[in-house]
Amino acid sequence: MSFVTVLFVATALAYVAAAMLFSAHLRGRGATSERWATRTLGLAIAAHVAFLGTDYALSGRAPLSTMHETLAVLSLLIAVSFLATMRRHRLVVLGAFITPVTLLLFLGAALRGPVGRVPDGVRSALLPFHIAVNVLGLAAFALAFAVAVAYVIQEQLLRKRQLGGIFQRLPSLDVLDSLGFRLVTIGFPLFTLGVITGSFWAVRLGSASPTNFSAGQGFAVLAWLFFATVLLSRVAGGWRGRRAAIGTMLGFLCAMVAVGGYVLRGFGG
Amino acid sequence: MTRKLIVVGVSHRTAPLSIRERLAVPAEQLSAELDAVAKRAGLAEAVMISTCNRVEIIGTAEEPVRAERAMLDYWNGRVLPEQIDSHVYRHVGREAARHLFRVASGLDSMVLGEPQILGQVKDAYGVAQRTGTVGMQLGRSFERCFGVAKRVRTETALAAGNVSVSSIACDLAEKIFGDLKDRRVLLVGAGKMSEVAARSLTASGAHLYVVNRSPARAQSLAAACGGTPRPLEALATELAEADVVISSTAKQGYVVTYDLMQAVCKIRRYRPLFVIDIAVPRDVDPRIDSLRNVFLYDMDDLQKVSRENLAARERAIVPAEEIIEQELGELERFLRSVELTPTIVALRERVHGVLRAELERTLPKLAVDDASRRKLEAMCDAMANKLLHQPLTELKQGETGPEGANLVEAVQRLFGLDASAPRSGKGPQSAESPEPALAAERGSKH
Repeated sequence: MSFVTVLFVATALAYVAAAMLFSAHLRGRGATSERWATRTLGLAIAAHVAFLGTDYALSGRAPLSTMHETLAVLSLLIAVSFLATMRRHRLVVLGAFITPVTLLLFLGAALRGPVGRVPDGVRSALLPFHIAVNVLGLAAFALAFAVAVAYVIQEQLLRKRQLGGIFQRLPSLDVLDSLGFRLVTIGFPLFTLGVITGSFWAVRLGSASPTNFSAGQGFAVLAWLFFATVLLSRVAGGWRGRRAAIGTMLGFLCAMVAVGGYVLRGFGG
Repeated sequence: MTRKLIVVGVSHRTAPLSIRERLAVPAEQLSAELDAVAKRAGLAEAVMISTCNRVEIIGTAEEPVRAERAMLDYWNGRVLPEQIDSHVYRHVGREAARHLFRVASGLDSMVLGEPQILGQVKDAYGVAQRTGTVGMQLGRSFERCFGVAKRVRTETALAAGNVSVSSIACDLAEKIFGDLKDRRVLLVGAGKMSEVAARSLTASGAHLYVVNRSPARAQSLAAACGGTPRPLEALATELAEADVVISSTAKQGYVVTYDLMQAVCKIRRYRPLFVIDIAVPRDVDPRIDSLRNVFLYDMDDLQKVSRENLAARERAIVPAEEIIEQELGELERFLRSVELTPTIVALRERVHGVLRAELERTLPKLAVDDASRRKLEAMCDAMANKLLHQPLTELKQGETGPEGANLVEAVQRLFGLDASAPRSGKGPQSAESPEPALAAERGSKH
């Protein structure tokens, strides 16, 4: 097993441990589990950085030049931004939802498809920009997704009158709703740029005619539509709370299907 | 002889309100009352707790039985022609300390684990300190009991989760809206219960509006809770503006119907609304709970939560009692060690003193020189030390054992020592009656 693989496995195991600790904390097992969960997540991030650094040093490529590397960067970004923002607002308990998402994306990085690299014909100055805005947008959406899951669970507990440990530990509906909305607001313009630049490619490669529209592109546009609806309907009234949360979840899932398609089949769709 | 901790009192468990109310002491008279009881019952130290659910005196006395009788006589005068005896609980020694710990932790409260009692015990202790009836033994016991109450609160679920309907409603509102500051609370109808709930919500910074069939009642309730009265016709507009609605009218049939709420939801653009229906029969159509972002809790729901929280508190009784047992052990060890040192000193002084005194009396008759005199003195000291070696070793070892307290007491009785009296050099007789000890301790407080 190569050193990079060891680092990869170590990172994944640390994320698994952090996810388990966060989940234990949410279910109220052990008083110190929150601190340990945060520490373990910190450890996972450190291992993650080491993995990316080693991988870069060995391969000589920038970390964003293949899809699986992009996923590795995306998952790191999610974990770091979670720790950086949520700790201050006493929302660490949301780690129970965010860490599994991070873990799944990170594991996706291991699925090195046969056509991992961007075909030379597609290379352009726009490519790094396209990837960067998509990664940033998806990181915000991933956080919004985790917050939306927490909202749906919390609302369900309130409706079912199950006001025990999990209900007490999760933040209030209002906090979850406005946090989710803020995250979608941050992610949306970035993701929009990503979709526009993506479509630009598709047109240039001549694959964007209505008959030749790939499933990946389709899901990306569907995701964009979900997020656009979440934002617009909130402003226009009505899509608050549960509906907004479900819209956010569906949007992120569509985006993940699009990403998954690329990961499995290589760049370009 | 050592002083024993003693508790005599009545509580909601042992005495009806008719008795408790005659024994209760208003806060402003507590100090004078405490002073009088302590003197009369010959208590060396005393604290008096008087709340609506209990009146009790915790003190230390050398003769607990006599002190207890004196306290009962004092109280009997208050409740004539009834006799207080059958309503009183009394505890001595370890039992008394356990009782104090249980009371402060909320284990003996009417609502299990309620937090107010700790504040009341602290207040009572403060009054006693100012009155000058707190010495080392009670001081240490109370400090320990505050620590115990804190441990029970943080380490067990005894005080977790609210059990009163109004505070549960307030908790739920916070779980929906986060901060309640500047939220609008609408009272529909003006029942007593809704007033209590409204007060706890406005205490968190919410604004209150009152809708009632009788404008006068709406006016007076609004004035009492710092809210704004609104006419009954404004119900729909107020519902559209509100965040929390508390309904408690005496009307038959629904005041807030499904159709009304459906229309209101559209106007309020589906902002979250928390409706608490505490009226029986119900004021609010239960179907509105299915409307988007409307959450309805009725009396049954709130009482179910209350029962669950209370059950969780009850499960915490055993761990709480365990903490209390641990801490009782700690307190006993400490008090014993405090008692032990003066006993050892007194025993040593007594034995050395007797031998030296006899030597001093005999020496003039012997006509010895200085060198021989020093040898005789040294011999005296050696005899004393040899005699004392075994008893002192036993005493020190007994400090941690269960028979330690008995041993200390036995030594004090056998040798006529009084280790608990302040060491003023007056000798063992100085504290035969408890009064001087009390006076000495009061003096030392100032």
